[in-house]
Amino acid sequence: MHSRWLTRLSWSVLVTGFGFLYIPIVILIIYSFNESRLVTVWSGFSVKWYGELFRDEQMMNAVWMSLKIAFMSASAAVVLGSMAALIMVRFGVFKGKMLFTSMITAPLVMPEVITGLSLLLLFVSLDQFIGWPDGRGVLTIWIAHTTFCMAYVTVVVNSRLQDLDESLEEAALDLGANRLKVFFVITLPIIAPALAAGWLLAFTLSLDDLVIASFVSGPGSTTLPMEVFSSVRLGVSPKVNALSALLIAVVSSFTFVAWWVLRRQERLRLVDLQGAQKQQDQA
Amino acid sequence: MSSSVSSTSNSVRKVQLQINGVSKDFDGVLAVDNVSLDIYQGEIFALLGASGCGKTTLLRLLAGFEVPSAGSILLDGEDLSRRPPYQRPMNMMFQSYALFPHMTVEKNIAFGLKQDKMPKARIADKVAEVLELVQMNGYAHRKPHQLSGGQQQRVALARSLAKSPKLLLLDEPMGALDKKLRTRMQLEIVNILEEVGVTCVMVTHDQEEAMTMADRVGVMNNGVLSQVGTPMEVYEQPNSRMTAEFIGSVNMFEGTLKADAVDCAEIQADALDCNLYIGHGITGTEGMELAVAVRPEKINVSREPPSQQYNMARGVVEDIAYLGSHSIYHIRLRSGMIIMASVGNINRQLASDKDQRITWEDEVYVSWSDTCGVVLYS
Amino acid sequence: MARLTSWRPGRSLVIAVPYVWLLFFFLAPFAIVLKISFAESQLAQPPFTNLVAVVDDVLTFSLNLFNYIDLYEYDLYLRGYLNSVKIAFFSTLFCLLLGYPMAYIIARMPTHSRNICLMLVILPSWTSFLIRIYAWMGILKSNGLLNNFLQYLGVIEQPLEIMHTSVAVYIGIVYAYLPFMILPIYANLVKLDYSLLEAAADLGAQPWKSFVRITLPLSLSGIIAGSMLVFIPAVGEFVIPELLGGPDSLMIGKLLWAEFFNARNWPGASAVAVVMLLLLVLPITLFHRYQARDLELKPDA
Repeated sequence: MHSRWLTRLSWSVLVTGFGFLYIPIVILIIYSFNESRLVTVWSGFSVKWYGELFRDEQMMNAVWMSLKIAFMSASAAVVLGSMAALIMVRFGVFKGKMLFTSMITAPLVMPEVITGLSLLLLFVSLDQFIGWPDGRGVLTIWIAHTTFCMAYVTVVVNSRLQDLDESLEEAALDLGANRLKVFFVITLPIIAPALAAGWLLAFTLSLDDLVIASFVSGPGSTTLPMEVFSSVRLGVSPKVNALSALLIAVVSSFTFVAWWVLRRQERLRLVDLQGAQKQQDQA
Repeated sequence: MSSSVSSTSNSVRKVQLQINGVSKDFDGVLAVDNVSLDIYQGEIFALLGASGCGKTTLLRLLAGFEVPSAGSILLDGEDLSRRPPYQRPMNMMFQSYALFPHMTVEKNIAFGLKQDKMPKARIADKVAEVLELVQMNGYAHRKPHQLSGGQQQRVALARSLAKSPKLLLLDEPMGALDKKLRTRMQLEIVNILEEVGVTCVMVTHDQEEAMTMADRVGVMNNGVLSQVGTPMEVYEQPNSRMTAEFIGSVNMFEGTLKADAVDCAEIQADALDCNLYIGHGITGTEGMELAVAVRPEKINVSREPPSQQYNMARGVVEDIAYLGSHSIYHIRLRSGMIIMASVGNINRQLASDKDQRITWEDEVYVSWSDTCGVVLYS
Repeated sequence: MARLTSWRPGRSLVIAVPYVWLLFFFLAPFAIVLKISFAESQLAQPPFTNLVAVVDDVLTFSLNLFNYIDLYEYDLYLRGYLNSVKIAFFSTLFCLLLGYPMAYIIARMPTHSRNICLMLVILPSWTSFLIRIYAWMGILKSNGLLNNFLQYLGVIEQPLEIMHTSVAVYIGIVYAYLPFMILPIYANLVKLDYSLLEAAADLGAQPWKSFVRITLPLSLSGIIAGSMLVFIPAVGEFVIPELLGGPDSLMIGKLLWAEFFNARNWPGASAVAVVMLLLLVLPITLFHRYQARDLELKPDA
């Protein structure tokens, strides 16, 4: 009786929690198909706002701009973040490691307004003294996003590297491959899923960032969140609902496919393991 | 069996690996302390010791994963101690096997050969050859996780043999296997190694494994190599209390030297009423402190008093551990010392005939012959 | 553990690349913020004065403390700071109260359903933050869905004023940051050895007692990491108070934004940032201590 009461409590906590997380999203998607301009009054099914969205050139330009920046930032962040993770896990103690660890962990929690302001002031000062980066735009957003995304990549890759059996790398060294080769032939392929996950995380973080981009962007480099923000500030707009629904659909299907692939692999692995066990029993 | 290889032939065999005064300290802690050792060509040598004794560090120094703080390592007369692992003609089988999870069995074995830029066709031949050697021919296209523990071990062995190394290093080779499989694989691996004829240094904490597999054993303690010899030498003639107690179990009598002749010696033991009698002369001065070690299976247990006046004691059976093939008797002497005696269960014992057997609380005599005690100075 | 000498030259290079990047683009900017917080605002490009300048052939060095004095004098900023800390603190508490039970329940599920639930927790944080806050605008408005629904049910007659109040800000922050609370606690609880609890039960401990004595202390590092992941960014939050908040939910991130974008007072904004950073030094250090432990190589590996 006692445990049934607990089970019920568990379920209600989970339902409340997930309801809280998902109801707003579901409502958002439903109302993206609303005929009416008034977002909160249902007046019939329609996909006209999707059409409006695609005809909105400014919005489409911002989408393209954001995707471009997210792609570049994620790629750079994966390179730098993986290097940082490798340093943390495999390089032992070195001079200034404390500071390095701090600079990796601090961006994870640093309020965006501070990061944005400080980077902007850096760019302005640089411009003043060395004439680079010569105004603000895609380049400065890319630098800013790479910097704050790499910390996340480091955390993701770091945990995978810690689980990696170091004797795998030693075995490759022992069999005649040098350090560099071991990294590319053994370490990299094994941590590849973590790199992919880190890249995707960095991509979505960059795609999502409003505050930092607002500080360091210049004329002609309006990103999607900036565009959405300026239209949302004026009130609820059905076009934004359509955009949101599309974004959510894309992200969830991506996540779901990734999850499904991983699960299938895991299941295949289990089947293989059982097969091997059986063989051993027969032997 | 391999352990029957006599140590007397060592003088004519070629030394392949020389370890000269090698030390390794990690931030001030000496993991390996001035170890010198010669390994002969074609032998299987086991480094035996408790965990943390420095045996694994010594193996890693050989493989090149650590750089010695002092000393040199010579393979066929060539100093390797500063060379990176990928330039040493030796290969290692890891405790976890360290099979590359993203490569098939075939690719795993070919990995080392590819690093040597061997032509493709030769690689394929060589892979087939070593797979045949470890009887894994049918598994070339499997991934490591599709293999059982025993199969993974065979593949790991094949991979480390594929490059025909001058020296094979085995790190706790049976560590990841269950007990039953272990006994089978010990003999199988020895057969494979002897077929290939490769010189081999292995590390283990399991004395039974070391004695089964190795021609010679080196006992390590606190970073120091305390004794080197054939398994029989190390067991029957331990050179220190530490070795005697680490390998097998032993009854240790502390005492002082009473008399020393050319062919015999007498030692007064605190725990015994009579003196200990050793059937050979020893080098020592009267009154010096030493110890005599007697293995449990050398001790005779009887109800009747033995005919000898030395090497005997009277006691009460306090405990009996029945182990099937033999039983261990724990006999408490008057002095309070407990002597362990191993008695073979040669006749089938039944629960009904308990009167004939020595049992709990029985008064018994223990005795041993004058050739059974080993005198230990340290 | 000592590594091979042959790795050394490459080693320095590998360390140098991310190190220099972070020094330059993460640490150096703070120094510049500090510098500019002592400058004066001016109508020029860039809109602040130099600390060191040549005026009438004389090298002058001016350290301007007015930006900081302003922060102190204007009650607005003081209220902003206090309100930010208050809102962030209670939001963190609410996140913990909802997140801990969720993490606990998920961690004790069988593997299959555990993975599904974990994905459900992570999924929202992969969709746009801005859009998720926007979703609440449509719900909380005075003629929004929540009010419509409650009025339809007859629970209320007049629409509730939630939008543009601190209640809306609390809802927004808890909603947006909940996954960041759940995940570290989950990661901690899932590693917990349940035989410890069985041992406690075996030794006669009541379930709630073994929870307080064993589970809670052992998951403390997850609680701290999660709380800092919520608290610190929440203090400087801009989007949520901007879109959902009103006059009573003044927050410092919003003030900084206004100072910078609306008043174009860059030195003033810098001073706001410096004080905010000083306020957050302690929580950031705390977070760093727990995070660094995770990032370092496990001792047994």
